[in-house]
Amino acid sequence: MLTEKILQEFETILGKERILTSKEDLLSYAYDAYVEEYLPEAVLFPKTSVEVSRIMKVASTHRVFVTPRGAGSGLAACGLAKQGGVVLCFTMMNRVLEINKPNRYAVVEPGVVVSEFQKEVEKIGLFYPPDPGSATVATMGGTVLMNAGGMRGIKYGVTRDYLMGLEAVLPSGEVIQTGSLTAKDVTGYDLTRLICGSEGTLAVVTRITVRLLPKPKARRTLQAIYNTIDQAGNTVARIVEEGIIPATLELMDKMIIKALEDYAHLGLPLDAEAVLLIEVDGDQASVEKQAGIIAEFCRGQGARDVRVSQSEKESDQLWMARRGAFGAVARMRPTCVIEDVTVPVSFLTRAIKEVITIAQRNQVQIAVLAHAGDGNLHPLVLCDLRDKEEMKRVEKAMDEIVDFAMSVGGVLSGEHGIGIAKAKYLPRQLSPQTMNLMRNLKNTFDPLGILNPGSFLECAP
Amino acid sequence: MISQNLREEVHNCIKCGICLTPCPVYKQRLVEVASPRGKVQLIRNVMEGNLELSENFVRILFTCLLCETCTVNCPSGLKVDQLMKAMRVEVIEKFGLPGKKKFLFELLTGKRLLPFYLFWGRVLRNNLLPLLPVKGKVGTIPLKKFPRLNRQPFLKKIPEVITVPEPKGRVLYFTGCATNYLDGEIGRATIEILVRLGVEVVVPKDQMCCGLPIFLAGAPQMALPNILKNVALCNRQDVDAVVVECATCGAALKKEYPHILREMGQNAEGAEALSRKVLDISQYLMKFDLGKMLRPLQGKVTYHDPCHLLRSQGVKDEPRALLRQIPELNFVEMGGADVCCGGGGTFQWEHPEISENITAQKIGNIEETGANYVATGCPGCRLQIFGNLKKDEIEVIHPVQLIARSLSG
Repeated sequence: MLTEKILQEFETILGKERILTSKEDLLSYAYDAYVEEYLPEAVLFPKTSVEVSRIMKVASTHRVFVTPRGAGSGLAACGLAKQGGVVLCFTMMNRVLEINKPNRYAVVEPGVVVSEFQKEVEKIGLFYPPDPGSATVATMGGTVLMNAGGMRGIKYGVTRDYLMGLEAVLPSGEVIQTGSLTAKDVTGYDLTRLICGSEGTLAVVTRITVRLLPKPKARRTLQAIYNTIDQAGNTVARIVEEGIIPATLELMDKMIIKALEDYAHLGLPLDAEAVLLIEVDGDQASVEKQAGIIAEFCRGQGARDVRVSQSEKESDQLWMARRGAFGAVARMRPTCVIEDVTVPVSFLTRAIKEVITIAQRNQVQIAVLAHAGDGNLHPLVLCDLRDKEEMKRVEKAMDEIVDFAMSVGGVLSGEHGIGIAKAKYLPRQLSPQTMNLMRNLKNTFDPLGILNPGSFLECAP
Repeated sequence: MISQNLREEVHNCIKCGICLTPCPVYKQRLVEVASPRGKVQLIRNVMEGNLELSENFVRILFTCLLCETCTVNCPSGLKVDQLMKAMRVEVIEKFGLPGKKKFLFELLTGKRLLPFYLFWGRVLRNNLLPLLPVKGKVGTIPLKKFPRLNRQPFLKKIPEVITVPEPKGRVLYFTGCATNYLDGEIGRATIEILVRLGVEVVVPKDQMCCGLPIFLAGAPQMALPNILKNVALCNRQDVDAVVVECATCGAALKKEYPHILREMGQNAEGAEALSRKVLDISQYLMKFDLGKMLRPLQGKVTYHDPCHLLRSQGVKDEPRALLRQIPELNFVEMGGADVCCGGGGTFQWEHPEISENITAQKIGNIEETGANYVATGCPGCRLQIFGNLKKDEIEVIHPVQLIARSLSG
């Protein structure tokens, strides 16, 4: 319980104006992009790591629960005060501290919005590849704690692959530095990559050093339309087999095509079963060559129509479909739950067909988007949260999707996180020994259990 | 009361947060209640009975520019602005309008406007101007930057019908209060261009304030007599189009009137018929081949998109195309042309500390172009931009004024 006295201690650190306690404010920090909601007791807005450290010390002394949060675009309730306490919101700690061109790295505070950072580095010819769908909202800190992925995963990997070092505050209030500014570093355990993806359960990140790449000089987009999912899936397999690595390789199924046509009228054929959107990037010559080879593969696998963009503008037009897909589907029903199972890429076609069968069997509306190149499926489950009976069927369908993913060596979540959304499935993927080791790790970082309580480790059966 | 279909709207918000970063107000405050998502979720809590209508809630609801950026960006297609406008009506029914707004709106709707205007404009205001405190401000705008009133209302100075020989068209011109009382030159420019194109212009003398500022403040009952009168006056068969050069009046006539009347349970057929005839002046002018009539104009112009023109009415290309037709005038696009200027009607008056930073970015973008004209078709935007510009050499102007200068140039 957060007493008046404890609040006053927080006030001496932050002042009154960076602590919110009104009912209206608390209600507005009770949600993220997942469905469940939890009311915090106060919301604190630190601006420096010193403030964060002092807050954690007060929290440790009084056993106040602390949950870190960025912009609240997460999909698994990781940034919500699931057992009360305070939300530590980083939106006001949002400076880009350094962009170092000679050594190609940047140092940012956790509240910087991902897409704004990307724009900033691209201005000087650099490139920060991690590109989650929420990039225009999500904060760098949030993407680090969640190890966010995105469409460029197949070629460029995920957030974890770009981290060089962190400044982090432990639940005790101690400040640690992890990693370094060098490209190679094997000194000790890799705490940087442990904290990354920890869903805010081990430490609070206050400063992030990321690796940058030179910005690719050219890009080409291909759109291929198929009569069957198999043809699209076989094209993906063919591209991967051949050793060509496109920057993105996205698949949209029939339901998404229909939603897009109802809403945006992009001229996609309604009788098609799948569309692939493929982007290659690099220097001009290799981009031309790769685009040509991929176009041949698409036709070879029976694509009924293949378009290759001839300009940036045309690329943008082709990507409009993919960018609009989520929205077009989301507006069909009040609630849209985004699934995130991921399978080894050779099982992609089977997985998509399985999801469609599961949807039909349970009479649930599911549209399938997939980051096809890395086997990451995003079944978009359409429903109405207020319809209890429908939600039961949704739950059953999700169980079955997880069953399938597990049966082929897949994972519960590719990039959205476990949180409370998938905690109940955790023992399906992790052995008791692994779970035990994870719990011990958590205990080492946070012996009092005050950081992000109610997270995946505690919720798991 | 919020109508049933709008009540359903709150459940369509999937809380993705895509509306956060583009929201000018959220970007300044960085707290959730400043964001569209925050407001929609609070409205949901009110509807579900978890939250009482409090003064804090009212403050939150009115800390919004109603720039509609969230509405056009929402992946789920939520009509966020309509939801917030409807909620405003509900809270004003409970809490009433703040005093200063009530006074302003009574002026705009009542018969007292003309005597008030004559007294202040002719007798006091223009003569007293040098006596005003030099450093005084209304919101972010220094008092000395407020425009002087027209010597005589524009509508008094022109005939009701301006005829031309062998007319190529016939339009009704809705001038709006700003042109009528503050900036008659825009009205003169509009009529001059139309007449040069051979278009007959009908200017009803007893047109009223469009009422949009009053409706947006949550007092549609107060705006209703104006709306009904304007619909009756402007919905006529004998004109090809109803042209408007004020973005806000255009948004009222084209988009909001039918919606407001339906929400209030009134017959909206007349308003719908009128809505189909309304055109922004730039849209109407682009139907003609002005190009060959225009003479060169020196300098550089940039264009600012008013929220009520770009997002409410979907007009983006025509004003730019119009300006590009002027020979030798260099058109440069500014960064963030489509971002709200931070004025938001009475918003800058109530929240100068938020407005200030939003406007500073707009001014920075304007200055970066090196333009000596910034053109925009909204009196609110012009006042906000002019009031915050530090450089005197940049002229804030309506696109039609530049066209008129080029015609006579």
